[in-house]
Amino acid sequence: MIVMLLMLPLLGSLLMIIRPAIAPLLTLVIAVASNVLALQLLQQISEEGTMQWLLAGWPAGLGIVWQAGTLTALLILLTTVLQLLVGLYAFVTHKRDKLAAVFWPLSNLLQFGLIALWLSRDLFNLYICLELLGLVAVALVSLAGGKAIKPAINYLLLSLLGSLCYLLGVVLLYGIHGILDIATLASQWQDNQLSYIALLLMSGGLMLKAALWPLHLWLPGAHSAAPAPVSALLSALVVKGPLYILCLIWIKLAAVQQASAMAPLFIATGMAALVFGGWSALRTPFAKTMVAYSTVAQLGYALLALGFLLKFSHPLFFAALWLFVLSHALAKAACFLAIGEISATLGGKRLTALKGASQTMPLAMFAFALSGVSLIGLPPSGGFLGKWTLVQGIWQHQGQLLWMLPLVLVTLLSAAYVMRVVVLTFDQAKPVAPDFAPKLLPQWLALVPALAVCGMAFLSEPLLLLLQADAL
Amino acid sequence: MAELIGSGILYYLTSAGLIAIGVYGFITGPEILRRILALNIISAGIFMLMIVLAYRGGANPAITTDATILVDPILHALVLTGLVVAVSTTAFALALLARAKRHADASEQP
Amino acid sequence: MSLLLFDAMLCALLLMLALSSMLSRQLVDAIILYIAFGLLMALAWARLAAPDLALAEAAIGAGLTGALCFTALARQGLHAAGPKLSRQQRFWPGLFVLIMLTGLLLSLLQLQVQSGPLPAAVATQLDNSGVSHPVTAVLLNFRSWDTFMELVVLLSALLGTLKVTPPLTQRGNWALSRSWSQLLAPIVIFLAGYVLWAGASQPGGAFQAGALLAAGAVVLRLNKQLNWLHWQNGWVRLLTVIGLLVFSLVAIVAWLLPVIPAKPVWLGWPPAVAGAIILLIETFASIAIGITLTLLVVAEPANHPAVITHQRTEEGAHG
Repeated sequence: MIVMLLMLPLLGSLLMIIRPAIAPLLTLVIAVASNVLALQLLQQISEEGTMQWLLAGWPAGLGIVWQAGTLTALLILLTTVLQLLVGLYAFVTHKRDKLAAVFWPLSNLLQFGLIALWLSRDLFNLYICLELLGLVAVALVSLAGGKAIKPAINYLLLSLLGSLCYLLGVVLLYGIHGILDIATLASQWQDNQLSYIALLLMSGGLMLKAALWPLHLWLPGAHSAAPAPVSALLSALVVKGPLYILCLIWIKLAAVQQASAMAPLFIATGMAALVFGGWSALRTPFAKTMVAYSTVAQLGYALLALGFLLKFSHPLFFAALWLFVLSHALAKAACFLAIGEISATLGGKRLTALKGASQTMPLAMFAFALSGVSLIGLPPSGGFLGKWTLVQGIWQHQGQLLWMLPLVLVTLLSAAYVMRVVVLTFDQAKPVAPDFAPKLLPQWLALVPALAVCGMAFLSEPLLLLLQADAL
Repeated sequence: MAELIGSGILYYLTSAGLIAIGVYGFITGPEILRRILALNIISAGIFMLMIVLAYRGGANPAITTDATILVDPILHALVLTGLVVAVSTTAFALALLARAKRHADASEQP
Repeated sequence: MSLLLFDAMLCALLLMLALSSMLSRQLVDAIILYIAFGLLMALAWARLAAPDLALAEAAIGAGLTGALCFTALARQGLHAAGPKLSRQQRFWPGLFVLIMLTGLLLSLLQLQVQSGPLPAAVATQLDNSGVSHPVTAVLLNFRSWDTFMELVVLLSALLGTLKVTPPLTQRGNWALSRSWSQLLAPIVIFLAGYVLWAGASQPGGAFQAGALLAAGAVVLRLNKQLNWLHWQNGWVRLLTVIGLLVFSLVAIVAWLLPVIPAKPVWLGWPPAVAGAIILLIETFASIAIGITLTLLVVAEPANHPAVITHQRTEEGAHG
């Protein structure tokens, strides 16, 4: 089953390269099939517990190991669901938006790379996954042509620097321990200065690739220049890959002292990301750039939760971390699809072009507002669930309550930038006339993930159960 | 492998130096093509580090008499994989660069 | 002692070349210095008992990357001078890098001279891998998933490149270079075949063979031979993906037909036929790598009309 999950998108993309004509339809078929498989996988893993595969049948260490806990299965499901949505959106709009044919094989390769990354438990294999992810992401950004090329180059160069940084860390770890498999490495971990430096190098590279503040400067340009379905994929999924590895190395590998020494840094950068990302989102005049900056801010929550997790090692923070990731992925997909659809129909990239959009395109606006609810963290939404779990975790450590204050502050900040858009769209004085009749189906497609992120609030019990501490 | 005690430090120094030179070139630039070259120099430095590690980390001669396993084959394989990845990304970066240049020219002319 | 002297000179040269490549005024100089650096790097790796890698580095680091850089430079104009940097712009990065270098060196010197458990494991399992050369065994058996993903990376780089490449302005070619390149072709194919076959027991293998094939094909293509070699040709597209296609099909077959283990193992080759499987995968992988690398260098943009008209004129000339 797991092999099918990987081979379907890969073989599909090969077929698409040989015969480009069938690509859009084939992508949809593959996406549907992958969803079924991913659901089965999730069910099987939640019943039978964590699964492990020794590739090529060699013992761990000599060969590469795949491992899937409930978190991995959830992320795989998230990947396939978003692929299906974005694939459908692209299928409906690709003629109008002149989406290049190479989008289809590339998006399938992206799915392949992501699933390979979620599964892999081998430091070097993760490096290749990272490179694949970065390369495909840049190729997808460059599809927009023209003005997107410059951000794409920036993205590519910084992403390469990030991977090389990570690789250097991996090499140092191999030099110390002589092993690449994460579980084996964790059991032989040497708690010394050298391994700390290696971890720092890897973290630096990963933070650059995940656009965590202050290494986020490439993100707004790249994510806002890309075509709408690509931006959705990038913001929702691609930046989560390096984040996942970051969690893997600090939770699984690092010794307790090393982790707790790193925690304040993560907390501080998380806070800074929330504040500065939110501030930039509030100030930018462009719609897609605003959504991209909001990604920078929202990644701050994940980093904050990671910092708290390393500091207190309370399982609630682990759940909060991944709840943020899941809800952000869904909300951001909805945001980018909605904004993309509105911009395509109303014309213009500025926020002011959204004027009166609640009249002309109510469905897309509703999708944006719903995902905004999650980004702010209001109930009922996945974002609220994540924040609530985080607050619960903090509550259990008396004396840490001072942290509530900045949390309230950043919530207000995100409320401000979401409200700014919503208020603008209800401005009925001079609504921007659409260039052509708004299409309904793409708007519905933007609404689906928005509804899903609200639905997360009602699934809090099973989600929290799936995100136990041993889920990684 | 006793001969490498002196040279080993020398090669460590070189690989660290190459990484440092690459990072310097990447930061100062100023052309993008030079940044791409700088990335290649960094990766060459890292690969060199891996090869030095492989040279010192070979299997114990007591286990095997096969001369080819006196170096760590895992690291060699990793370097080979890394080389392919590096050349693919370099090619793509250069293609993007050429395209950016053409775009800049096209927007200058009218 | 003389070896130490050789090492010292080699290292000093490497550092000097790298530094001057980064500091040179003209980009052309930077590229030439980089190519020289790559060649010396290959020498250093051969010295460090890594002949496989020396071969690959000479083909890629010096050859292919150099060709790629020159192509890119040709596309953007040979003597485009960049902005000059002020002393301030050079000083702070320099300081930062020096601090970083010291830290890195201090940490590297802490590394202990000892070997991990893996080389021994490779040595003991080598007989079950189907090949006798340990690097090939690691690449295509122990860590074959890495190699698989590496092929995917190569393919996605090609997809990205083809989408964005502007056309290369083709100049008139030189009759002598044309006839020489025709002479070269069979030699290159023969050499690539040898390198591939040797990979089972000695240094060599799919990637080196692919790089050799690519080198030959690039020369021919730039001399306006091999006109079928462009992206519009469905067969060429098939050839670029054939490495991955064969790899995954073989893996799926081996997975669905478990000969010895009761539970299917992904990418597990039955030891009896492992050698044959690896040779099969390597053959197709090197063809795919060769074609892909060629296309990366002489990238023809998708739907570029010049290619087709160019072909027509050629045919007209022959007719």
